[in-house]
Amino acid sequence: MSGRLSIAPRARAPVAVRLGVPIGSLIAAGLAGAVVILIAGASPTEAYRIMAESSVVGWRSVTRTLVLATPLILTGLAAAVAFRMRVWTIGAEGQLYLGAIAASGLAVALPAGTPKLIMLAAIMLAGAVGGALWAALAAVPKAYFNTNEVITTLMLNFVALYLMNYLIFGSGSFWRDPDATFPQGKIIPESAELPVISYRLHYGFVIAVLVAVVLWWMLRSTTWGFESRTIGDSIAASLYAGMSVKVKFLSVLALSGALAGIAGTIEVSGVLTNLDPRAISAAELGFTGIVVAAVARLNPLGVVPVAILLGAVAASGTNLQTIGVAAEVVFLLQGLIFLFVASGEFFLTHRLVFRSAAPTEQPQDQPSEALA
Amino acid sequence: MNDSVLILSIVSAIVAGTPVLFASLGLILTERSGVMNLGVEGMMLVGGITAFWTGVQTENLWLALLAGGLGGAVLGLIHALLSISLRVNQIVSGLALVIVGGGFSSFWGSSGDTPLTQTTNGVKVDPLLPEALRDLPAVGPILFGHDIVLYGSWLIVAAVAYFLYRTTGGLSLRAVGEDPGAADAAGLSVTRIRYLFTLIGAFGAGVGGAYLALAVLGTWQAGLTAGAGWIAVALVILSGWRPLLVLLASYVFGALRTLGFTLQIAGVEVASDFLNMAPFVVTFIVVVAASANPDWARKVGAPASLGEPYSREAR
Repeated sequence: MSGRLSIAPRARAPVAVRLGVPIGSLIAAGLAGAVVILIAGASPTEAYRIMAESSVVGWRSVTRTLVLATPLILTGLAAAVAFRMRVWTIGAEGQLYLGAIAASGLAVALPAGTPKLIMLAAIMLAGAVGGALWAALAAVPKAYFNTNEVITTLMLNFVALYLMNYLIFGSGSFWRDPDATFPQGKIIPESAELPVISYRLHYGFVIAVLVAVVLWWMLRSTTWGFESRTIGDSIAASLYAGMSVKVKFLSVLALSGALAGIAGTIEVSGVLTNLDPRAISAAELGFTGIVVAAVARLNPLGVVPVAILLGAVAASGTNLQTIGVAAEVVFLLQGLIFLFVASGEFFLTHRLVFRSAAPTEQPQDQPSEALA
Repeated sequence: MNDSVLILSIVSAIVAGTPVLFASLGLILTERSGVMNLGVEGMMLVGGITAFWTGVQTENLWLALLAGGLGGAVLGLIHALLSISLRVNQIVSGLALVIVGGGFSSFWGSSGDTPLTQTTNGVKVDPLLPEALRDLPAVGPILFGHDIVLYGSWLIVAAVAYFLYRTTGGLSLRAVGEDPGAADAAGLSVTRIRYLFTLIGAFGAGVGGAYLALAVLGTWQAGLTAGAGWIAVALVILSGWRPLLVLLASYVFGALRTLGFTLQIAGVEVASDFLNMAPFVVTFIVVVAASANPDWARKVGAPASLGEPYSREAR
């Protein structure tokens, strides 16, 4: 071969590329999933038909998808607001647990006869504060010592997980139901349960979408949003412009933590009805939220459809066992979607150039060569 | 005396710490090149399932370990492609690999007519040294009672330490991690070195998962690492990216994992949740303390370019 491929950055991709790349990435992820299903000895078309039936065909399936998408919208937003400011918090997982702990604790502490509206407002606030305070444990060192937030938030996730486990499995804490044979959380009163829209779909979904719209507006049209974008671009310039970077770090991390805390509250109030450490940690909602935010390119409005897509994939696993495909394939598919979309992303900001002769080639940018 | 609680718990701490040790040694090499890898948990799981399957098929320890390492390295290749070549955010790429690796391994483990979750291990991992040595008081079980793979991990610790501090290759690796621009100017291929050590590191994580599935537990279950990959991430930070310290840290972690049982036997009730929490709390405190104290941070701090993609044009 006399010519070779090289990569060049580009300013703005044509519309066809901007639409084609994400769609192509999704198709590629689906094909990769099909190969795995085929190797596992089942028919991919049959598997995808069953998956569509459990997730998007018919209203009942749709409600299941939306229930699973709800926490992902909120954790996706939690990551998106921070990442836009280049604050790389990966603490949504732990902040979500703290939100669930605070909300379930308050729900069983308040009198069961508390009016529903007051009860719901109180536990949402408790969840948001719980998540925000947990985030503050990482935000304060970040603001004052410039401590790497990736590591602190990551560590705090596991502290929160084991704390939650301790409350239910390791102790006779206030959260644990003393009458149950097996360790489980006290059931919250009915007044603390989110009202239902249809089947198991609760109003938490509406709350999540509204939060997404509000955040989109905040980032676009308020000083706060402008400053957070500017700080993301250059801390030095922001300081020179007189912005209080410290306060911004604290506020964006607190907001991110509050969003994750609300996600935890909604899981307790709309789905689980008690503090259930296994159920709430199984889906890794916080980590998946980071993936959601990345696929949505950190756009709050984009987070909603991406979360619904991943929710649909998660919902689709239910009936796969009937054709001998393990339901775990859906986690694999979620990951594959992300891998393909993320690599597709590259082609929106770069283009491949075929050169017939390239004497001044840069080997740095040649992965195939680097591997050889 | 070799049956005493103390000696048994030291032995089990060493065994329990070994999978994390393999993964941490790999991660040190990867991160010394400037590539952050949060996907260790996924790599260990894929390494574990690949090794377990190979063990069932071939009943050969070495083939199983190799397969486990290669399983981890495949995820390492994806991480390298995404984060080095396509410049995807390294945090996001790593987390995606945790999801992919967890999904893939639990899918594989529960697929088929006789899923691996219901299969017994085909590989025997026996003690290496003669019984006379193993029966010596105290030192017998603690030092001489292990299998060949565990002894191999000690050799690898020494080899990694030697490589990092005493060879040109190690110097190149550290240069790329500290200042890729200067390393590039000095004629080193930043991309090639980062690819190589991302793959080697992922291989280590895969071997860690393999040892966990084959020797420590001997069975396969979904998510069997139970956070060991995240522990590796924490221990590497805690050890300041140093192989000898990570050996110590791995065994302390192993002791924490088994301390709950030990204390229970001794009649002391301690919530195992707090023992499990300890490595993460300690790492959190150390990282905050180091950042508040710049002199100390310089000694124990991360490779300067950790987590930052390198691109010639952007310099």
